Amino acid sequence: MSWLNWSRWYRKVIILIVLCPLVWVLSAVSACVSMPSPPSDLVSKGRDIFFNETFKGNGRTCGTCHRAEANFSINPSFIATLPANDPLFVAEFNPDLKKNFENPKLMRQFGLILENLDGFGDLENKFVMRGVPHVLAQRTSINSNQGPRTGWSGDGAPGDGSLRSFATGAVIQHFTRTLNRVAGVDFRLPTEDELDALEAFQLSLGRQQDLTLPLPLKGIVPKRGQEIFLDNKLGKCNLCHSNAGATANFGGGNIGNANFNTGVENLPDQPADLSGERNPPDDGFGRPGDGTFNTPPLVEAADTGPFFHNNAIETIEGAVGFYDGESFNNSPSGKLLAKADPNGVGIELDGTQIVAVAAFLRVLNALENIRQSLELLESSAKKGFAERAEDRDLLKRAVSEMQDSIKVLDGGGLHPEAVAHLQKAKELAKKAHSSFFRRSGLTQQAIDELRNGRVQLIEAS
Amino acid sequence: MLNCYLRLAIVVVALGGTLEASGQQATEMFIPIGQSPGLSNKESVIGTLESVDPGKRMVTISSPSGAQTVGITDRTMIWLDRSEQKQPNQNGVINDLQKGRKVEVKVRKGEAKAVAEWIKVQVGP
Repeated sequence: MSWLNWSRWYRKVIILIVLCPLVWVLSAVSACVSMPSPPSDLVSKGRDIFFNETFKGNGRTCGTCHRAEANFSINPSFIATLPANDPLFVAEFNPDLKKNFENPKLMRQFGLILENLDGFGDLENKFVMRGVPHVLAQRTSINSNQGPRTGWSGDGAPGDGSLRSFATGAVIQHFTRTLNRVAGVDFRLPTEDELDALEAFQLSLGRQQDLTLPLPLKGIVPKRGQEIFLDNKLGKCNLCHSNAGATANFGGGNIGNANFNTGVENLPDQPADLSGERNPPDDGFGRPGDGTFNTPPLVEAADTGPFFHNNAIETIEGAVGFYDGESFNNSPSGKLLAKADPNGVGIELDGTQIVAVAAFLRVLNALENIRQSLELLESSAKKGFAERAEDRDLLKRAVSEMQDSIKVLDGGGLHPEAVAHLQKAKELAKKAHSSFFRRSGLTQQAIDELRNGRVQLIEAS
Repeated sequence: MLNCYLRLAIVVVALGGTLEASGQQATEMFIPIGQSPGLSNKESVIGTLESVDPGKRMVTISSPSGAQTVGITDRTMIWLDRSEQKQPNQNGVINDLQKGRKVEVKVRKGEAKAVAEWIKVQVGP
């Protein structure tokens, strides 16, 4: 090497030595000062309101119960991780809300929230205890020929009953400072603009369209579960959960989301009843209710338990098993199914068949987790130097989705090879989250591992 | 022959499996007159009570779009809007519907005659 070349090389090294700490300092500063992008559209604005706006109430936000890190729902194991001063527990530390606002025991033990759906005239006696439904895939779930159906019984929103109006009712029920519930004193009502933004955000969550079943699944048991699910003489699941969604199709075309009395209220030994706490019967839709509840989507079911409006059943296997039981088969819906059946049978499945349908739902859920993780990782990979905070948020959410997919498959003893890939993908995404220089490469590796995992579950299309 | 599940669909519809979706009444009573989302100034009638006939159970509301007479049934909810006094809203009765008071009325859909589903009436201290 000539002296001239050596000198040039030496200068480059010196520049690198000077630049490296400079880049490091700049990146550290960037990580500290770069905040998520300011709301630039309706969805971003809605997200901000959903997670941060208390409407001058008791401190709760929509995100208090619909946690992003818990699939926009909440369950007892997640509740157990929250600090004592979390606004969820406002009834435990706000004297004005100590009585007849929540039942802290049922909330902590079973994830149940108090609702006064038949009016606020007799708070001591007229209330129901309901779980928190996730708010994913609402674009495909709440429309019916008769209008929108929100909440567990399809009548969750005041005003015109739409998803847009839902937040107004939620603020009155759950955000109030006192039980007087005076607008402008105990809370402020959401503005028209806020309702628009909240609706846009909620509609952006999760799936934007229904699946088209059957899927080319690989696992023997989930595959059989899918057959049973779609068999209108055996599982009959697809009649009310068309394509594992939240709409009904009895053969005459899709009728959208519908309400049914499936007898969940008649289940014996419901956990909340066993607790000895007051748990009045829930009469569902209307005032007084007619005993019906609306149909939730099933793709997102496996990682959003406990199940049904009263969190009566903890596992997806148990939830499928419910339809084989007496409570369902003696209910108005069960009897209708039996009437339409040539052999007069409602739904009758054996243990292996129940597990197979549950396995199918677990795989559907895992595929949705993977789809969302890929979407998040691909968005992350596109983020630039200045968008580090947003990027880290995307990676964190992707990790959470991957964790769900692992839990859902593992919980059913399904697809261990896929689980191994998903574990690797999760670790890579976690590393990407904490890395600066290798973020892009690690994210790409995580994407590859996710795709490898997906291939184990379903034939490539 | 009709497919058995098509028959089922007909039965489900007949028995109310596809009940008309509706707004929740429980929380509606706490929403001040004119602020009901998606309803106020769109589907509901806001105006003043021009006449009240408790015997016939009819009220006439005068609003910018003209006078409208609606019936009251046992299912009609009447709520006293006391939000201007910063007091909690309450359930009311037909006698609370007095001439000259400001009201908001939601008319029940699908009825042959105009029947109120709920009436919010503004009351003083």
